[in-house]
Amino acid sequence: MNTPVSARKPYQSKLSRSWWLKHNYYRLYMLREATVLPLLFFIGCLLYGLYCLTQGAAHWQSFQTFMQQGWVIALNLLAFAASLFHAKTFFALFPRVMPLAPAWLMISGQWLATLLVAAGVLLLCGGWL
Amino acid sequence: MTDYQLLIQRYDPEHDNEPRLQRFTVPGDHTTSVLDALLYVQQKRDVTLGLRWSCRMAICGSCGVMVNGIPKLGCKTFLRDYHSDITIEPLAHFAVEKDLIVDMTQFLAHLSAIKPYLINDYSGTALHKQTPTQLAKYQQFSNCINCGLCYSACPQFGLNPEFLGPAAITLAQRYNLDSRDNGKAARMPQLNGKNGAWGCTFVGFCSDVCPKQLDPAAAVNQAKVESAKDFIISMFKP
Ligand code: FES
Repeated sequence: MNTPVSARKPYQSKLSRSWWLKHNYYRLYMLREATVLPLLFFIGCLLYGLYCLTQGAAHWQSFQTFMQQGWVIALNLLAFAASLFHAKTFFALFPRVMPLAPAWLMISGQWLATLLVAAGVLLLCGGWL
Repeated sequence: MTDYQLLIQRYDPEHDNEPRLQRFTVPGDHTTSVLDALLYVQQKRDVTLGLRWSCRMAICGSCGVMVNGIPKLGCKTFLRDYHSDITIEPLAHFAVEKDLIVDMTQFLAHLSAIKPYLINDYSGTALHKQTPTQLAKYQQFSNCINCGLCYSACPQFGLNPEFLGPAAITLAQRYNLDSRDNGKAARMPQLNGKNGAWGCTFVGFCSDVCPKQLDPAAAVNQAKVESAKDFIISMFKP
């Protein structure tokens, strides 16, 4: 008697490298993840500023000239926009992971907290500078 | 009646080396679902078309297909919502057996790996008591129909089939949150591993495509919180 031969030949497609370009949802996800790139630049500026501060007045002056260049301002504005976008996505996800209160309340609460902290820091720095 | 253009992915393991698209014209009105259209093709055009279905009412979870690249239940998706060619392919990230039929072995293995049943040392005959508040904690996550759409929406599962994936982790949360269950310790090793909750990067598309609005992405990320707690507690244990 013949042993039956299986006709199975499952076809497995491979996920291409460009999978994230195929759908708007994935593109938005990649944009969210990419917000870290301009933020890295901002952190670089911050560290450079701290370093200059420890090196005396001349260095501090050159840091300030560096920061006033058009492209540096543009990149930092981009970093600001990116962090706002990231915050928006994060604040929307947070109530789903930790459903402590109605989502709308948690989302507006987080924005309010951000505004208060930002205003506090600005006030503090403003007074100090 | 309107004529709709369907592009259906065909794959015959006995003759084809890779899938191809085949065009069919299907008549439909505002009540015609994608599943109705596929059954029309099977009954009137090509009897060899392979597809899975059973209930036709979004409860058995067997009719999942990609419609224009998005995972959908065929019986819950209507032709009226599409205005040009409708491309119908088998669920993404799974191996295709024939036409629209995929092999779900891996998915089922992931589901059973997280021990999806009540684990406790309860042996009496009296009924378990549960308050509505206790029920509400996990009820949303208990509505899964195991259709696998979330796995087709998840690029992490596409990249790494060992990743437990949205439905399995949601199911683990469903039991971990159940007041009648004591099996969390038995499930945590699965969730803590690199193929567990931490394999998720919160793409979130799984929640978008879930036909039962379970929000699996939320469940997976709640599992991350649990996993982190489990880790911290384990540090203080001798
Ligand atoms: S046929 Fe049962 S869910 Fe579609």
